[in-house]
Amino acid sequence: MKISGSRLLALDQEQCYRALQDPSVLERCMPGCRSLVQVGDDTYAMKMKMALASISGLFDGKVRIADRNFPHGFRLLVEGSGRIGFLKGDGLLQLTPENGGTSVGYEGEVRVGGTISAVGQRLLDTTSRMMIKRFFDKLTETLASPQQ
Amino acid sequence: METTVSKKTERMVGKPIRRREDPRLITGTATYVEDIELPGMHYAAVVRSPHPAANIKGIDTREAEQHPGVVAVYTGKDIDHLGAVPCAISLPDLRIPHHHLLAQDRVYYVGHPVAVVVASDRYVAADAVDLVEVEYEPTDSVSEPEEALKDGAPAVHAEWPDNVAFTHDQAGGDVEKAFAEADVIVKERIVSQRLAPSAMEPRGTVASWNSGDETLTVYSSTQIPHILRLLMAGVLGLPEHKLRVIAPEVGGGFGSKCELYPEEALTAFIAMKIGKPVKWVLTRRDEFLATIHGRGHVDYYELAARKDGTMLGLKVKIIQDVGSFHMLLTPAMPTLSVLMLPGLYRFKNVDAKVVGVFTHRMATDLYRGAGRPEATHGIERMVEVLAAELGMDPVELRKKNFVPPSDFPYDTPMGVSYDSGNYAAILEKAVETVGYSQLRQEQQESRQQGRLMGIGIATYGEICAFGPSPALPAGGWESATVKIEPSGNVTVMTGVSPHGQGTQTTFSQIAADELGVDIDSITVAHGDTSTVQHGVGTFGSRNTSVGGTALVLAIRELKEKIETYGAFLLESDDVTYAEGVCTCNKTGKTVPLAEIAPKSWFGPTFPPNTQPGLIATNYWEPPNFAFPFGAHIVVSEVDPDTGEVAIKRYLAVDDCGKVINPLLVDGQVHGGVAQGLGQALYEQVVYDDTGQLVTGEYMDYALPKAAMVPTIETDRTETPSPVNPLGVKGVGEAGTIAASPAVVNSVVDALSHLGVRHIDMPLTPEKIWKLVQQGGSA
Repeated sequence: MKISGSRLLALDQEQCYRALQDPSVLERCMPGCRSLVQVGDDTYAMKMKMALASISGLFDGKVRIADRNFPHGFRLLVEGSGRIGFLKGDGLLQLTPENGGTSVGYEGEVRVGGTISAVGQRLLDTTSRMMIKRFFDKLTETLASPQQ
Repeated sequence: METTVSKKTERMVGKPIRRREDPRLITGTATYVEDIELPGMHYAAVVRSPHPAANIKGIDTREAEQHPGVVAVYTGKDIDHLGAVPCAISLPDLRIPHHHLLAQDRVYYVGHPVAVVVASDRYVAADAVDLVEVEYEPTDSVSEPEEALKDGAPAVHAEWPDNVAFTHDQAGGDVEKAFAEADVIVKERIVSQRLAPSAMEPRGTVASWNSGDETLTVYSSTQIPHILRLLMAGVLGLPEHKLRVIAPEVGGGFGSKCELYPEEALTAFIAMKIGKPVKWVLTRRDEFLATIHGRGHVDYYELAARKDGTMLGLKVKIIQDVGSFHMLLTPAMPTLSVLMLPGLYRFKNVDAKVVGVFTHRMATDLYRGAGRPEATHGIERMVEVLAAELGMDPVELRKKNFVPPSDFPYDTPMGVSYDSGNYAAILEKAVETVGYSQLRQEQQESRQQGRLMGIGIATYGEICAFGPSPALPAGGWESATVKIEPSGNVTVMTGVSPHGQGTQTTFSQIAADELGVDIDSITVAHGDTSTVQHGVGTFGSRNTSVGGTALVLAIRELKEKIETYGAFLLESDDVTYAEGVCTCNKTGKTVPLAEIAPKSWFGPTFPPNTQPGLIATNYWEPPNFAFPFGAHIVVSEVDPDTGEVAIKRYLAVDDCGKVINPLLVDGQVHGGVAQGLGQALYEQVVYDDTGQLVTGEYMDYALPKAAMVPTIETDRTETPSPVNPLGVKGVGEAGTIAASPAVVNSVVDALSHLGVRHIDMPLTPEKIWKLVQQGGSA
């Protein structure tokens, strides 16, 4: 499944770039994220809970950041698996200054397998869009009150 | 509605008596595999691959093994000494990959069993499945059979990079000459999509090992207990006399339980290993993943004809989606299609080329009709395409080409011999009943009002009464034992293994008439290899035609023995047995069966050279298949705004030979039509382009609900089969075979004025709506 879109954030390009790579920010903002721990230079271990249609389950995953191009963008590679199947995502984030803030453009592909695919396929598109929206909503909220 | 109350002199055969199975089924007192509880029962749950193609880099079972309640976890290495999941078909160039009970170093489809967890509690077993860590290295997969045949497609099995599982070419007559002489050749690509058999009871097995005498008892939801015993003994390396297989109540199969599945053998293996009884029952979700799928054809048809409508010849290329492994009879399916390619038509020139293709999907195999629905859908669609091309009425075109009644037995170019039939008569009956010419007029009028009404006709022939032994891998005969108990009551033991057909009812009717006894004095037993003589099983509409014939012949043999005892007791040398009584033809003295029976067992004296007891067994081998036929007519209306198809009328006129129980025949037609209509309008198993199954529950797999199935009008003609003494042909698949072309033909007819000639199933509203919006071009 292909995913693309953009979201305007009220931060400058550099702040945005840093926030989007800050494990503590991501841990708080990613829907269902239980923990995100740096395990290598560009690699993080992630535990997340995902619910889709009538199924839900914990995912053990890996997040890797590649093709860093400060402050314009980077590539995010996500892999996870759990009792309800697996997911694999590959996305390019591009940051462009816009109206005093930064537009975060994202474009990528997500693949799922196992039970998520067998019983959740029809909800996958809307669920991913909902999760992306929640992520940016939470991010906006978090960055507005950084001390929280 | 008549009930089962009867007098001895009342004929039972032909009566619509209610099913004798139903009281236990509708009061919840039937015993399915799930209902079996044995002391110390353990439960197995299977870890399945989420990947269509991947190397297994490692399996970590430690956490699962340490989970409280878990007794053992088995992986591929634990079972690699056991036999493979069997395929019983032989074709000259058939490639059979070794199909282990559990994946070894690779997985080949989503749902492929990788490990099995055993626990003392079924929920613990299910939970512990998630604790087995399997490290996969996914590789490229191929899902669509036509993609799999292309150069450079990922190889499902590395040793066969072309993904060809088998080929099968069969020709009759001179097809090139026929095509050269033709005025018109119509061509179409016709798909029969993958379907989920959807038996109401999921698969399941209970196994119990007695280490003292080294015997294994297996209860399994199967259509073939006797063959399963033989196959399972082979897989487990156990002599078959140490194995008892019981098919308890079985809630439907439609062919999907005519197998030895890996889980059945694994359950038995585990029971032997842990020395405890083990139960394994498939969940509905896993049923979609790991029970065989039906159909899976992409066919290319070319039909040649003269401009007067005379059909001359047919060329067909069949691409059969095999999946990644063969199951028991997978390669046989398209060969059955080939046998039915000419349908009911008399042209003699046919060229069929079949290729079976490995894909990264669950295996396909027998599903209600198994190959015959695909062929019938093909020819019945092509006849319509030809009719449209020639501007002929489809009824007239069919009648012009039918095999005439005077030609039976009719040898087809595919090497089978149609036993009996009158094809024009059954179509005429259907046309008359439905008011065909009136409907055509209505269609004209409704079109003027902008409504899209269609009339769909499908005629079909099918192969039943499986079958002569040369056509089957483990014998095509069937067996029956009939025993008159000392009380005079009758126990019938049949080698078939009914699972919803109502065979206990039909066999009681047959036995009641043949023996002249009250139907309530008869019990029909089946499905236990320790108590029933060897049998073949239930598939291919063979219960009544083959098993029923064995029953009749066993009774006829038994009647001679009854007469021997009657003569002995009446001190006569000339007696006749009829209607439960032996009569001396000289004195008129009589002795009833109720008196003969105890004396046959207890004596004290017996007739000379006669064994005690009234019991006889017969094994009957049919000399040929039987070929039922019929004509179904559907009136449908398409909603141009939504693309939805409404079935306004459904008429089924079938000829299944002599009818034992019209109520059960109607039931078979109703159920069959529901499944055929399901294929035509709703159902399809979908794998996405990454090989993931996306129709994994009934939210996504559109099995028709009761409200989606129209009222079905049924009628019959009755042409006895000369193949068996009962004159029966079979009706198990009829409705399924006729319904899909009848429904599709009606919708194509509704859109024919837009230039629509063919639509592939399922006819989803989206597909139809687009056609209507785009003025007929897809």
